[in-house]
Amino acid sequence: MGRYIVKRILYILLVFAILTFLLFSLYRLMPANRAYTDAKTEMQGLKNSIAASERETKFDELYLKYQRLYGTDTDNTLILYLRWLGLYPYYDGNFNGIFQGNFGHSYEYNAPVVTVIGPHIRNSMIIGIVSEIFILAITIPLGIKCAVKRNTHFDRGVQAFSLVGFSTPSFIIYILFILLFSSILGWFPVSGMKTPGSNYTGLKMVGDTLWHIALPTICLIFSGLAYNIRITRASMLDALSLDCIRTARAKGLSQKAVIYSHAWRNALIPLVSVFVGGFFSIIGGAIFMESMFGFKGMGLLLFNSTKTADYDLIMFIQVIFVFIGLVANLVTDLCYGLVDPRVRISK
Amino acid sequence: MEKKNRKSENIFRKLARWFVRFFMGIKYEEKWFKTGSTASDAENKTPDDSEFIVSPAKQAFKAYVERKFAVVAFIVVILMFLIVFIVPNFMTKYSDSYTEVTLKNLPPNLTMMSVPSELKNDIKTIDSYGPFSVGLSNAGKVYVWGCKKLGASGMDVNIPDEIKDIKMAYVAAGVDHIIAIGEDGKIYGWGSDRFGQYGRNQNSIDSSAIEAMPEELYENGVDVAHVKKLTCGYQATAILMDDGTVYVWGNKQTYPNMDNFLGRDDIVDIDFTLNYIVGIDSKQNGVFTGTRGLYDMAKTKIGAKSEKMFDFLNGRKITEINATTSSICLLLDDGTIALTGDFVADCIEVPTLAEGEYFADIKAGNYHYTALTNTGKVYSFGGDHYYQAEAPANIKNAAKIFTGAFQSYAVDTNGDYIDAWGFKGFPLGSDDVGANILERIICGGRITMTVGAVAVIIEILIGVSLGLIAGYYGGWVDILIMRIAEVFSSLPTIPIMLILTSLIAQMSLTTNQRLLMIMVVLGVLGWPGFANITRAQILVARESEYVTAAQAMGVRESRIAFKHILPNIISVILVSMTLSFAAAMQTETGLSFLGFGVNYPQPSWGNMLTKASNATAAKNFWWQWVFTSGILIFVGVCINTIGDTIRDVMDPKSSSDR
Repeated sequence: MGRYIVKRILYILLVFAILTFLLFSLYRLMPANRAYTDAKTEMQGLKNSIAASERETKFDELYLKYQRLYGTDTDNTLILYLRWLGLYPYYDGNFNGIFQGNFGHSYEYNAPVVTVIGPHIRNSMIIGIVSEIFILAITIPLGIKCAVKRNTHFDRGVQAFSLVGFSTPSFIIYILFILLFSSILGWFPVSGMKTPGSNYTGLKMVGDTLWHIALPTICLIFSGLAYNIRITRASMLDALSLDCIRTARAKGLSQKAVIYSHAWRNALIPLVSVFVGGFFSIIGGAIFMESMFGFKGMGLLLFNSTKTADYDLIMFIQVIFVFIGLVANLVTDLCYGLVDPRVRISK
Repeated sequence: MEKKNRKSENIFRKLARWFVRFFMGIKYEEKWFKTGSTASDAENKTPDDSEFIVSPAKQAFKAYVERKFAVVAFIVVILMFLIVFIVPNFMTKYSDSYTEVTLKNLPPNLTMMSVPSELKNDIKTIDSYGPFSVGLSNAGKVYVWGCKKLGASGMDVNIPDEIKDIKMAYVAAGVDHIIAIGEDGKIYGWGSDRFGQYGRNQNSIDSSAIEAMPEELYENGVDVAHVKKLTCGYQATAILMDDGTVYVWGNKQTYPNMDNFLGRDDIVDIDFTLNYIVGIDSKQNGVFTGTRGLYDMAKTKIGAKSEKMFDFLNGRKITEINATTSSICLLLDDGTIALTGDFVADCIEVPTLAEGEYFADIKAGNYHYTALTNTGKVYSFGGDHYYQAEAPANIKNAAKIFTGAFQSYAVDTNGDYIDAWGFKGFPLGSDDVGANILERIICGGRITMTVGAVAVIIEILIGVSLGLIAGYYGGWVDILIMRIAEVFSSLPTIPIMLILTSLIAQMSLTTNQRLLMIMVVLGVLGWPGFANITRAQILVARESEYVTAAQAMGVRESRIAFKHILPNIISVILVSMTLSFAAAMQTETGLSFLGFGVNYPQPSWGNMLTKASNATAAKNFWWQWVFTSGILIFVGVCINTIGDTIRDVMDPKSSSDR
C-alpha cells in the first residue's frame, strides 16, 4: 500500500511538472510584460529630470533592471520555468520561485497571489462543502428509492425532474432562482456577500453573511441534484440486477439488508469517482454561481482575472486546478480500495 | 474482383453500409451494398442464413420505435437541425450586427401594422416614430396600436382616460411620447416625460440638456386654425405655424441643434432625423440645420451621384421636407424630388415615373419613403429591412398616404383604409439593441449546434482512434494513452475552458477562426470519455471469435482494429455521441454566457442569455431569456432522451425485464 502511494505520488509529480511546463509555455505567448510596464511607469516619473537625448538609454537601463528583477532577462522558456519553480537563480544569484514560497504577483490586486487567493479558497470551500453534503444527503436516498421502486409514479416523476434538470444549464437555474426568490418574493438579496454600507459585528455579521449566502447555496444544491440522482439511480439499478442480489433475496434476507448492505455496496463502486470528484471540484469554485451572485470564491476570481489578464494569478489558479485534479485521481483510486474489497491496491 | 470493389468503396458508402447493417440487419446490407454481382448469385438464391437472424441492432431499433416519447424527441431534434441550418439561408435581410435604436426591448407583438377597425373608415392622420403608431379619425378620436407598453417600467402610451373624449385636431408620435393638439388649441401629451417630451416639470425646466415646452404653449395652447404642422422626433416635438413661427422642445442631447430653431419665425417646413432637426427657411433653397455643411449635397436617385445643393436646385424652390433617421427627401416646386443624407445598405431605388406623372405627396418613415403621385399611384423607396419599401402594385386611387416608423398606409378619398405594408412586429420580442429574437434564436441555434457537433466529431476522432489503439495493442501504448486520458479528464472543464478561450481571445483571429478554435478546444478537452469506452469495448471484442478468426487468417492488426472491431462497437459510441453532443452544447452556451465563447454580434444561445444575469432585466424583459432558455432546455431534454433510450434499448440487461 505504502509503496503504491509513493509510486503514485512520484507519478503525480512527473505529470505535474510536464503539465505546468506546457501551461507555462502557453502563457509565455501572452502579451504581458511586467518589466516593460514598470520601466515605462518609472520613466514617466523621471521624464522631466532627464534630457531628451538620454531618455532612450535611461529607459533601456531601467527596462534591463526590471527584467533582471523579475527574472525575464532571457528568452529561454526552460530557464524561465525553472526560475518560476525556484530551481534556477535569478540574475543576482538568488532563488525566488515556488519552492521559496513566491507564487507570483497579481498585477490587478498588487499583492502576492497567495494572499489574494486565500479568502477566495476559503469561501469556495465553505459553500461548496455545505452544498455537497446537502446534495449527497438528498440524492443518495432519492436515487436508491427510485431504483428500488423503478417504474412507479414516484420514480417517473423524479426521472422527469432529473432529465429536465440535467438538460438545463446551471445558469438558467440561477436566473430562475434569482428572479423568484430575490426579485419577486424578495426573500434574499440579489447578490453580494454583505449588506452594502453596513458595518455589523459579531452575531449580526454572521446573520447578515448567512442571509447573503443562503440563496447561492440553495442554487448550488439545486443545480447539483439532477446529475447525482441520475447516476445514483443508474448505478443502483445495475447493482440490483446482479446475481448476488438474487441470492441474497433467495436466502430470505430482509429488503433493507438486501438494498443497503448488498446492493448499495456494489452500487457505490462506480459512484466513488463522482463523489470524490465532486468534493475536489469545490476548490475550483462554481464559476456560474459566483459570477452571477458576486460571491467571492475561486470561480469569480478566475473569471475576473481572465477578464483583466492577470497572468500570474491565472497561472497559479491553473496550477492549483491541475494539482487538485491529480490528487483527486489518487484519492479516487484509494477510495476504490476502501469501497471495493476486490481491488487490492497494494498489489 | 471483389477485393478491388471493396477498395474503391468511398467513406460515405462505407458509413452508409455500417448504418444499414446496424439498423436494418445484414440482410439489407447484402442486398443494397452487394459488390460485384454475378449471374451465379441469382441462381444460387438458396435460403440465406442471414435472413433468419435478427441483428441486435434491428431489435434495438424496434424497441426504440416503440417508445413514443423517444421517437418524438428524435424527430424534434432532426427538425431543429433542419430549421437552424436551412432557414438562415432564406433570411436575406438578417445581419448579425443589426441594431435599431427605436425598436429595442420590445415584447412579443404582431400588431404594429393593425389599424383599429373603428379607425379604418375615417382616417385623418397616422404617425409613428418607434414601436407604436398613433392615428386620428376625422371625428377627432385618437387611436394607438402596436407595442403600447414600453421600457423597463412598462409605461403605457395609450391615451389617458381623462383626455379620451376631447376632440383632437392634430396628433404625432415620438419614440416614447405622443403629442396631440385639441380643437380648442390646447396641447396634450402623454407617454414618457423624462426628457421633457411634454409638460413643464421641474426637471425639464432646470436641466440644460432639456428644452422644456414653451410656457405660453403650455398655458394657452396655440391657435389651432393656423397650425401648419405637428411633428415629433426621437424625444422632441415641433409645432409649425402658418406664419413661419416654430415651437420646438424636448431632449437636447439627441438634437444638439435645437437652439438654432428656438424663436424663429421664417420656417416653411420642419422635420426630425435621428440626430438633427432639419427645416426649410423662407429662402427655400436648402436644408436648414443651423450647422454648416450638413445636407448640402443632393441627388435624384439613391444610386446617383450627388451634386452641390445650389447647382442641383438651379433656381427651383423646396416646398416640403421629409426626414428619415439619416436621410432627407425634399419635394421641389416642379414635382420632382431631391435626396440628401446617408442611405442604409439595402435600399429600394426611387421609381421612374411615367410621362406626366409627378409626386404629389411624400411621407417618410424611419428608413423608407412612401410617395403618392398625381395619378393616385403609390410608390415606396428607401430602406427595406422590414419590407416597408415594397409597395403593393395594385393600389389605385389613393388620395392620402401615411407612414409609420416601419409601415406605410394608403387611404382613399373618403378616408377609407386601402392597404398597409411594412413591419408587423417581433413574434418573440426584440433584444436590447433592437434585433429580432426569433431570428437570433435560429441563427444562434446554427452556431450552437455547429459548435456542439464539430466538438463531438473532434472528440470522437481523437478519442475513438486513441481508444482503439490503446485497447487493441495493450502494453505500454495502452498505459501511456490511458494516463494521458486520465490527466485530461481530471482537469476541471469549465475553468480550463475559460482560460484557454481567454488565451484565444488574445490572438488576432477572425470570428470564424475563433469559432473553430472554440470547437477544437472543446473537442480536445472532451476526448477521454470516448477513449475510455472504446478501450473497454475493445478489450471485450478482442476476445471474441470473429477477431480470433481474423487473426488466424492473417489479417493485419490495424485492419482488424479498424475494420472488424470498430463497426461492432459503433452502437456504444453512438450513445456516447448523443450525450456528449448535449454536453458540448451546454459547455458552449455556458462559456458564451460568461462572455468567453461566441461573442456578440455572432449570436449563440449562450450569449443571448448574458443580459438575463441582471435580475432587473430578467424580470422586466422576460421575453429576452424565456424563449432562448426554453429552447435550450427543450433541445437538451430531447437529445438526452435519445441518448438514454438508445442506451436502454441496446442494453439487454435493462430491456429484458421491462
